[in-house]
Amino acid sequence: MRFELTAYKKSFRKLFIATVFLFFFIASARLCRVDLGVFQQGIFEGLSFLSEMFPPDVAAFSEMIYPAFETILIALLATVFGALFSFGFALAGAANLSSPWLKTISRFAMAAERALPEIIIILLLVAALGLGPFPGVVALAVGCLGMLGRLYADAIEEVSPKTIEAVASVGATKMQIIQYVILPEVLPSIISNTLFRLEINIRLSVLLGAVGAGGIGYEIFYSFQLLEYERASTAIMVVLALVFLSERLSDYLRKKIATGGKLS
Amino acid sequence: MIEVKEVTKSLPNGKRILKGVSFKAEKGDFIGILGPSGAGKTVTMRCLNGLTKPSTGSILIQTNGVTKDLACCNGKSLRHIRQKIGIIFQGFNLVKRLSVLDNVMVGRLGQINSFRSLFYGFSNAEAEEALEALEKVKIAHLAYRKVASLSGGEQQRVAIARAIFQKPYILLADEPIANLDPSNAKKIMKLLRPLAEEMPVIGVFHQPEIAAKYCTRIIAIKDGNVIYDGSPKVSDELLADIYGEELFQLDELVEQQSQLVVS
Repeated sequence: MRFELTAYKKSFRKLFIATVFLFFFIASARLCRVDLGVFQQGIFEGLSFLSEMFPPDVAAFSEMIYPAFETILIALLATVFGALFSFGFALAGAANLSSPWLKTISRFAMAAERALPEIIIILLLVAALGLGPFPGVVALAVGCLGMLGRLYADAIEEVSPKTIEAVASVGATKMQIIQYVILPEVLPSIISNTLFRLEINIRLSVLLGAVGAGGIGYEIFYSFQLLEYERASTAIMVVLALVFLSERLSDYLRKKIATGGKLS
Repeated sequence: MIEVKEVTKSLPNGKRILKGVSFKAEKGDFIGILGPSGAGKTVTMRCLNGLTKPSTGSILIQTNGVTKDLACCNGKSLRHIRQKIGIIFQGFNLVKRLSVLDNVMVGRLGQINSFRSLFYGFSNAEAEEALEALEKVKIAHLAYRKVASLSGGEQQRVAIARAIFQKPYILLADEPIANLDPSNAKKIMKLLRPLAEEMPVIGVFHQPEIAAKYCTRIIAIKDGNVIYDGSPKVSDELLADIYGEELFQLDELVEQQSQLVVS
């Protein structure tokens, strides 16, 4: 800056920024039709609604086991497929293995996927493949690409080009270099990121269930439709337990990998 | 046997790094290449392994009585010839998360078919042989450790064991002791020396006194030309001639090497 603002000018600028901010705040509140009355009413309605959900329907618990299992399986299958699929894209998207144009294409595909929320992908796939767990698996697997592909590719790029060159210098093929250099060097980071994604996929798989992919999410949606709120709350409890447990497990495993614990 | 004939290398900007390097190496030769930084030593090494392609000239390598020109090899034929060229590096360049033994096995990747390597199909006999290679460099007791946990001297021994296991016709060493302390440097030189009885060993060194002590022959490269090729007893005049102006060329050197990576 070529001149110093005086204290007065500085406080004026702050005031100006605050005014602009307030203007946009009020404008957006009007646009969204904020109505505190709705909120007031909603609190009481919500409370009475919550009381209808209580107590959870214990008898329905046994009916929730299979859907919960299905949710886990959808997430697991999607993560495995997604990880494989992302690894392929990561190899193509890593500057130290791939050609510049291939890298650009692969990185662009990953970025494009990141820009699409999973819910949009499943709506597209439901339209294309119909309802059921399989479109859910495909949607979640595709959904892995943006995050896992990017993280894998970045990990691969950190492998020393000199090590790659050294192994190439004994006459190894690209396949062999991937298997004997890239894979062992990036495995800890791959496992850790994949576990994290599995955790995310379990949560998403609940969400996708509600739009027809089956599993526990569908149970919640279905119970709400039938006004069986007590049953719905049982399902929600199961989801809470599921998400909590998967987070604990993935945290535990990832910590173990980070501290170099024996896993392989 | 390896014969380097009139090898030149020019950068894309037209600068000539090698201006016609020629020499011959046979079984029994332990050649130390000396020269100031930027003289073309590393480029020569890279050419000898096919990591860099010479602009003109030929590099004849005799394998099983058949002579092949490395300078004309590409893709598959290059991979083929590289199986028989061992190389060790200044930075060791091992796969850090693999065990010592696995790193030694990697030396033979080029020689086994892809199907076997896909299933880690090394035979017991090969594992046995890899262990023998480790014994030769006296670190067989570390065979199952991860490379990342080894010291620099130990890592360079793993690299040598990998080269021994590879059973090359030629062994190249690109500044193999530059990252090591004097005592480890001597140990590595003592390991390399006897290998020369089985194959020509060609190394780039930055310490003329060590090269003079262990090598059987010295080649000095300056400004892309071989200015000396002969007995390891190099005179002080020659050393002054080799290293005299080095300090003034540093800037140029940095530029050259960054271009080399691009090319």
